[in-house]
Amino acid sequence: MGKDTSDVIIIGGGVAGLSTAMQLAKRGVSVTVLEREQISNGSTGRAAGLLGQLRGTAEHTRMLMDGVEIVKGLEAKVGVEIYVQTGSVRVAETPDRSQEITDLVEMGRSINFDIAHIAIDELAERMPYMHTDDITDACWCPTDGHLQPAELAAAYHKVGRDHGARYQTNCPVTGVLLDGNKALGVQTPNGDFRAPIIVNAAGPWSHLVAGLTGTTLPTAALGHIYLTTQPHPDHPVNRLSPGFRNRHHRIYGRPENGGLLVGIYAEDCSEHDMSILPPDFDMSAMKARRDDIHLAMLIHAAQQRFPWIDERTPMHITTGIMTFTPDGLPFCGQLPDYEGLYYCTGFSGHGIVQSPAIGLIMSELILDGNSTYDIASIEADRYWDVPGFQDRAEIQQRCYTMQGSYYGRVEGKTAAENQNGT
Amino acid sequence: MKTLVLIEHDETSLRPGSGAAIGFARELSEEIALLLLGKNLDTIATKAAQYAPVLTADHEALAPTVADRWAHVIAEVAQDQNAELIAATSTSWAKDIVGRAAGLLGGAMASEVVGHEIVNGELHLRRPMFAGAINATLVLEGSPKIITVCPSAYEAPEPAETPFPIEPVAIDASTLPSDTRFESLDCKAGARPDVTEARIVVSGGRAFKTSEDFEQHVGGLADQLGAAAGSSRALVDAGITPNSLQVGQTGKIVAPELYLALGISGAVQHLAGMKNSRVIAAINQDPDAPIFEFADYGLVGDVYEEVPRLTQELNSL
Amino acid sequence: MKILVPCKRVPDPDQKLCLNADATDIDASALTFILNPFDAIAVEEALRIRETAHPEAEIIAVSIAPAEGEADLRTALAMGADRALLIEHEGSMDPWNVARLLAAVIQNEQPSLVLMGKQAVDDDANQVGQFLAAQLGWPQATFASQIKFTDNGIRIHRETDLGIEIIHVVLPAVITADLRLNEPRYASLPGILKAKKKPTEHITPTELGIELEPRIRLLGMELVNSQRTCEKVTTATDLLIKLREADVIEG
Repeated sequence: MGKDTSDVIIIGGGVAGLSTAMQLAKRGVSVTVLEREQISNGSTGRAAGLLGQLRGTAEHTRMLMDGVEIVKGLEAKVGVEIYVQTGSVRVAETPDRSQEITDLVEMGRSINFDIAHIAIDELAERMPYMHTDDITDACWCPTDGHLQPAELAAAYHKVGRDHGARYQTNCPVTGVLLDGNKALGVQTPNGDFRAPIIVNAAGPWSHLVAGLTGTTLPTAALGHIYLTTQPHPDHPVNRLSPGFRNRHHRIYGRPENGGLLVGIYAEDCSEHDMSILPPDFDMSAMKARRDDIHLAMLIHAAQQRFPWIDERTPMHITTGIMTFTPDGLPFCGQLPDYEGLYYCTGFSGHGIVQSPAIGLIMSELILDGNSTYDIASIEADRYWDVPGFQDRAEIQQRCYTMQGSYYGRVEGKTAAENQNGT
Repeated sequence: MKTLVLIEHDETSLRPGSGAAIGFARELSEEIALLLLGKNLDTIATKAAQYAPVLTADHEALAPTVADRWAHVIAEVAQDQNAELIAATSTSWAKDIVGRAAGLLGGAMASEVVGHEIVNGELHLRRPMFAGAINATLVLEGSPKIITVCPSAYEAPEPAETPFPIEPVAIDASTLPSDTRFESLDCKAGARPDVTEARIVVSGGRAFKTSEDFEQHVGGLADQLGAAAGSSRALVDAGITPNSLQVGQTGKIVAPELYLALGISGAVQHLAGMKNSRVIAAINQDPDAPIFEFADYGLVGDVYEEVPRLTQELNSL
Repeated sequence: MKILVPCKRVPDPDQKLCLNADATDIDASALTFILNPFDAIAVEEALRIRETAHPEAEIIAVSIAPAEGEADLRTALAMGADRALLIEHEGSMDPWNVARLLAAVIQNEQPSLVLMGKQAVDDDANQVGQFLAAQLGWPQATFASQIKFTDNGIRIHRETDLGIEIIHVVLPAVITADLRLNEPRYASLPGILKAKKKPTEHITPTELGIELEPRIRLLGMELVNSQRTCEKVTTATDLLIKLREADVIEG
């Protein structure tokens, strides 16, 4: 095949696109990944990669657990550690949050997931750098951990390449070529690329890429921030110390580089208009101002659980852009308007950990027309023609609200109960 | 144009690079005098006199170096000599002392000049801005013009056969400022420069298996080049290098003249820390390693073999 | 005790720069501006001086900038400075005039210490501190990596090409901060909220009695090419040859 023709074009060189490319290439399909700037230099390059396998449903949990197995296979192939199995804890300090943990343990047990309540003094022993006096309940998942985003992306890239996938960088897609409602290819400043199947894995730019075919995609680009402390002499953090989630304070984190990484899903976040960014926007150059309000909120929240963290603690700040959807679940599959256009985006802060299974699912959808997984909840068309999800302002508002409710809502309560704080 | 060239010295010899200021001055002026300050200047004056007439401000009140005093004397001599141009090589000494002297002489100063042109009788100077991302061309308005030059931008002249005259300058110590007291200077011989400030950074990655290997290969090459040693995150994670060496998104951001990436694959997080380096050279066993897309020069090979070759060649000079 | 901290508003150094249409300056229209990192270090040091030695110290941040520059002065206020002064001016200004304006402010404010970054990351001049000290006739201590108060002044460790130099100055003095002086704090949530109530005074050069006398005329700028195409070599010897040709190693 000519270098500008392939079986599948993937728009976006982040973990979603790379994983999909790898899985397709392994099945003998010719794939071209078109990356706007540099491979894995978008949201992938900024991600923390925390893996909490136990999700709302058994199916989602299975996807994540299977993803770990895929990653282990990659590790064996490339000889690089990707999955760091630190285990994870979730802590609670109010009755509501305690109930969340109890429900989670019960749910996990029912699907034979390895999760159990953990005594507070055992928690304090595992994480001596955490303030535990006010914690009333906690649970422990020994098989959780984190995936190292750079190493994961590099592994997808390498294995994909070994199976013949091609990658073009500095190649933004500026148009989609159609014959009626069938995909033909895409236009870029480097010329046209042809394929009957095109996958939109463009992360924060996904809704703009969808817009090239006049399609409304309910994703929004929202800002995110986390801090990574320098190793603190009085509060050593072991490389295999557990990852943690503290929903009440809206923070999560894990060990990183001898220090502690702490991130936040705050009540408020920045919203990014991707359309005004230059095509070669370098997300790795994003920085927080010294007096950024979201940074101050993060530090304040982190300090509640880790009193040794304040605005003077030596640390590095990472900011980036995530792709959110109204329900926090991704869009995987086709929409009713065109044939051959697939979507693989909207991972709402969980792209790294979902990518191994998602790549497999996408390859199944594309090549077999269906998936071995139950993908009803992540189908791309679930908001198709649904009122309230068609207008850009509405979509933006819903995604923004979802981000705020990620940790803000008490799971197990209705939206109304959460609203009223009951 | 009467020119005064300020010479940095350590009492026995001219500092390397001070010749560049003389070379620069020669291109602009026929009437040059070199100004030396300090005490017991006879030896150094004789050496300097190989290049141009020398003025010596030799007084015990001028040793050890105190910026306030030296700047005062430089300004006085410049005014007495009716100097229109004052030149020096840009070093921390020059920034401190010549900067203050310029502040006493009206502030028409340009530092770190990397080139110049005379255009319609006007002196156009080129100097870097924005950490070297931009070169600006400018004209200084006012007299005298005080210019410090980048040491690599101008050639030092050859010494003359016949030495030039040496003339002492009278110093009235009672007029010298006395609010500053020099206490000590700790010459850091042996310690490596900090990775964020060094001109050259030699950085090692995953390819190095032990601290000893890192110290021998990366550290050894760094010492040869007077460079700082850096490391990718992988080695810090593995406990092979300390956190202070880490270059990258969550480590240090560096932009040296030369970044040597040894056994570093070039993950995006690492690149974020060094991609603004002026020259990047990489050695990696994997011909497809991403680092090669961001390097100016690449050598595909085993660092355990290539680095000793580099070190050996540099050693044999 | 009064500490004056000159704060420069500079383009964020990690941004890609573009030039304006006639290449006479950078195109500032799409740029983000921040408090000069070296000046943030100076603000931090002033805060530490107040916390450890002089609880009565008043810290004043001064900037020469257009009206939008208030945002970056507010960074200093959010970190903990007490009040701010914005000398309104559009466009760049050479170090000589910056020093003259600061000297005029200093005549009014009478601080005993001026603490500022050693250089701004846009023009990289490293001159204002020295010019100011010369104009005032005050002792200077440049490239400070450690500052300690003594009975009759300040002992400063200075970072030089030769090593660490230790000097002692009497007050009032001008000190310029080097990278390793400290790690500046971020703004805390209470700090950001308090900063909204702290006063920022606006003043013009004319009101300070200063008529600007430009010493530098900028003719043009050019972007240094950052494209890289990797030239592969096959031996270590060849690599050294290339590096010498590129003028990054000697020989």
